[in-house]
Formats: sequence, C-alpha cells, structure tokens
Amino acid sequence: MELRARVTMAALVLLLAGVAVAALLLGQAHLSDPGLRDTLLELRAVRVGAAALAGAALAVGGAVLQGVFRNPLVSPDILGTTAGATLTGQLALFALAVVLPGRAHQGVGVAADMVLPLGCLAGAGLALAALLAFARDRTSPLGLLLTGFILSSLFLSLSAFVTSLAQNSWEVGRAMVAFSLGGVGGVSRRQLLLATPLVAAGTGALWGWGRSLDVLLSGEEEASTLGVAVGPARRWIIVWVAVLTAAAVSVGGNVGFVGLVVPHALRPLIGVQHRRLIPAAALLGASFLVACDVLARTIPARTELPLGVVTGIIGAPVFLVMLRRWQEELRHG
Amino acid sequence: MAEPLLEARGLGVRRGGRVVLEGISFVARPGVVLGVLGPNGAGKSTLLKAVAGLLPSSGQLRLGGDDARALDARARARRLAYVPQHSVLDAALPVREVVAQGRFAHGGAWGPLAAVDRAAVDRALAMTDSTALAERPFSALSYGERRLVLLARALATEAPVLLLDEPTAALDVRHALELLAVLRRRAEGGAAVLVVLHALAEAASACDEALLLAGGRCVAAGPVAEVVAAEPVRRVYGVELVPGAHFGYRTAGPPRDGGS
Repeated sequence: MELRARVTMAALVLLLAGVAVAALLLGQAHLSDPGLRDTLLELRAVRVGAAALAGAALAVGGAVLQGVFRNPLVSPDILGTTAGATLTGQLALFALAVVLPGRAHQGVGVAADMVLPLGCLAGAGLALAALLAFARDRTSPLGLLLTGFILSSLFLSLSAFVTSLAQNSWEVGRAMVAFSLGGVGGVSRRQLLLATPLVAAGTGALWGWGRSLDVLLSGEEEASTLGVAVGPARRWIIVWVAVLTAAAVSVGGNVGFVGLVVPHALRPLIGVQHRRLIPAAALLGASFLVACDVLARTIPARTELPLGVVTGIIGAPVFLVMLRRWQEELRHG
Repeated sequence: MAEPLLEARGLGVRRGGRVVLEGISFVARPGVVLGVLGPNGAGKSTLLKAVAGLLPSSGQLRLGGDDARALDARARARRLAYVPQHSVLDAALPVREVVAQGRFAHGGAWGPLAAVDRAAVDRALAMTDSTALAERPFSALSYGERRLVLLARALATEAPVLLLDEPTAALDVRHALELLAVLRRRAEGGAAVLVVLHALAEAASACDEALLLAGGRCVAAGPVAEVVAAEPVRRVYGVELVPGAHFGYRTAGPPRDGGS
C-alpha cells in the first residue's frame, strides 16, 4: 500500500476515535452532574455504537454496489434496498405490537429482538432481488437508477401505509415514524449486540470478495474469462450487501446517502481497489454517521432532529453535484 | 506435428433462434498464429466468444484435450485468455493491478499475490513495453496504451491459448505493429494465438494460418497464403487482390459467399 493510502487509513482511525469521544462528551445534558454521568455515558455509548455500525454497514454496501454495478451513483438507499428493509422492519415491529401489545418498542427478549433484523433482511433481500429482476440491463446506469427510484417510492409508500395502520397505538405509531425517519436514539444494547456480528461478517465477507469485485470492474464477460464465477460471485455479494443493509436499518432505521457520499470521498485518497476501499469506507462511514448523530441531537430544535433528515440535508446536494458531474463526463466522452 | 491446444469440431451458435455460426472446425497448435478473417457480420467475434465460453454453442470444443465446457471458470482462465474488441474497464485501477487480474485464476482468493504471480505480471508488462505505465491509473491511459495493457493482462495469465478480437482496430500503425510483434513472440513461446483481424494485408503478414468466415460459415481454411488469395477473397469480399494497389485490392462486383 502506498504512503498516501497508509496515511489516509491512519487518519480515518484517528478521525473515528476523535468523533466517538466527541459524541460521548457532547449532548443536551451535561456530564458534570456525577449522578447522571454514568447513565449518560452508557446511553451515548450505545448510541455511538449504533451510529458507527449503521454508518459502516451502509458505506461498505455503497462502495460494493457501486463496484458490482459499475455505477458511481448507486447505494443501498438509491437502489431502494434501505426502503425495502425499512418497510419489512416496520412490518416486523407491527407484528410484534400485535403479538406482544405494548412492548414492541421495548427489549422483549432475544427471540423478539431478532424479529427486527430478520424482518429488515427479508426486505433488503426482496428489494435487491426485485432490482435484479426489473433492471434487466444492469449496464444501463440510468435504467438502474430509475428502477431503484421506482422501487424506493413503492416501498416508502407501503411504509407510509403501514405507519398509518399503526396509529391506533400512540407508542407503536411513534416508533414506526421514528424508524422511517432514521435514528439511533432508541437502540438497546441487545439490538446493538445482535447487529454487530452481522456487520462484522458482512464487511469481512465482502472484503474477501474484494479481488473478484476489482475484476468485475471490467464487466461480467471479461471477469468470467479471467476466472471469476460471475453468477455465484454476484449472488453472494448481493446477499452480503442485503445483510449489511438489514443490520444498518435494524439499528438506525431509514438513513440515506451514507453509502453514496462516503465511497466517493474516499476513492481519490485511497484508490478504487476494494480490499482498501471496504475497510476505509467502514471507518469513514462510521465517523460520518456518528458525527451526523451528534448534529441531530445538538442542533437546537424543539425535538431531536431525525438522523435521516440530517444525512438527507447533507447527502442530497452532494448527490446532485455528482449527478451533474457525471452527466458532464458523459457529454464530453 | 504438435498436439492441438484448442480444437473445435462442428461449432455452432444460435442467437434469438437464428443460426449465426455453423459447422466451424479448426485446430490451434502451439507456435501458430491463426487469423480469423471475414467481412462485417461474418461471425468472427461470435466465434471467439463461443470459444471463450461467453456464448452457448453446439459441437465439440476441446481445450488441451479436455472438454472446454466441462471446465469451471478458473480452470478455463488458466488455459485460455481472451482480449475483447471493446473493454468496458474504465476504472482508475493502477495498471499493475489491471495486469495482475490475469493471475486471478492462479492464486488463492484471500492472500496477496505470490512471487510467481508477481513475476508473471512483471514479464507481461515488460513484454508489452508497459512497465513505465505500471503505476498509472488505467482510466488515464490513451486508447493504444489501454489495448497494450489489456494484452498484458491476457499475457499475465500465461494461458497456452490466446484469443484476441480485432486487437489492432483503431490503433495507430506503430501500436499495431508492436502488438502484432508481441503476439508473434507469444506464439514462439509455445502459445496458440487466435486473432480476429480485419485488414487482409495485416493478416497475411502476421498470421501463419487463417480461417475465412462468411455468413457464419467457414469458406476457406489453411495456410494464410492460401486463404488470403485471389479466389477466396474475391468470393467473400467481392474484391480483387491487386499488388501495388491502394490497400492491396480493388472492388470487383458483389461478393458471392454471404459477405455483408
């Protein structure tokens, strides 16, 4: 690894450490009260962990999807994967509310806690399968984006429908709305412990596929002649992206643009090789979302800003700039 | 005579219910540059893709004595390298990484490249005179440089069969000559080279043997001097070979054998 990449990696580790410490220290309540300090620190630590996990998972998912589709403008949220996971996550919460009324938003045991990530996994998998089925020509960048947009719109509409059904119970309805707007405020330690191995396994597995992902940058035909078993490789890569997205949504709800912005910020510094990009994206994605969460809870507002709103305000303009630059590149060949 | 590295018997391809290639038979032996010639739409690229396993085909196809279709992607990639006419690769991968992709089927999937793989990459870069480009991003290269790097990637596989689809198309004369010289050296090193070429004069000087296709069938096959000869060329292209004329030929009425 050349010097610039090494320095960048070291800087990313320091950045994450710095942002995490700042996130522990900053907030509406002060740590100066000795009676509150331990409780506040513990609550914030879980929150920091959840934001870091979700950010890492979404950024790695984005970096990998951009590689496998050879399209710089895709990410789990742009392709509807996050919305799919959000919809089925909400359905899982709704089902829990029906089965265990009044406790759906609380810790209700490992088996019940598993319902949310499994629900999210079903939706993420379904969304990616639908994308592959409908975007037949995956080499068409606009076709892929439009299919993702339509799927995302469909899932978000269904999600709004499920939210409206849940309004009979104030608590469940509030949990649904919070989930669809994104946020790590209500994450329990157990949820965090369940999501951690999923994110670790997904990131590790995709790092393992890194060399295949590099070869897939030459397209499926060339990759096949170079020895990549393209069908199984693509299937496994998509499965692991679904796992990462599901884990991210299960702790952070519907958070957008992390998977789009982070890999783009990194490529000029670290290069396009996936064995470097994936760990770097995990580090910067984690830092980015922890920092966004600090903003969400420290910006003066009547209530805490939803995390998805903060990432959207930052990410959407960045996406528009990227879209414009990409169109100019196409125009000038 | 050396055993064939690649052997096709009655190879056929159908696309959308239409026969686009039928009854193609040839052998590719070590040391031989075999040109695949024919007018536009003759089925040259289809033949290469079928041999590379990128298109479903009928008939017999043997690689080094084994059924090519029974080989998995990694095993096939170790025996056969393919350079497409148009690569979609446009990433900012360093050139050395691109060439190292030629070793994908050799090493383990997890660890770094082994010394033997790194040596193969260095040899391929040297053979194509691309060593100076090794640390540059692929996306920053000129078209001709990209063609050489993609050839280096194929050479790095050290596969005994090398397939190239119009490798000299859109190259300036210097890059084209350099590339054809590399192919000759690879053949002299024991490989069988199957190369699609458009220019008959180029084929006549660069190839030992040739297949002349028209309308998805083989019209002539054998030593290049017999294939790039007055009668088959007139039949397929509708042109007369004229020594000293511009490009070496002039039109002589419509082709008779399915040229388009």
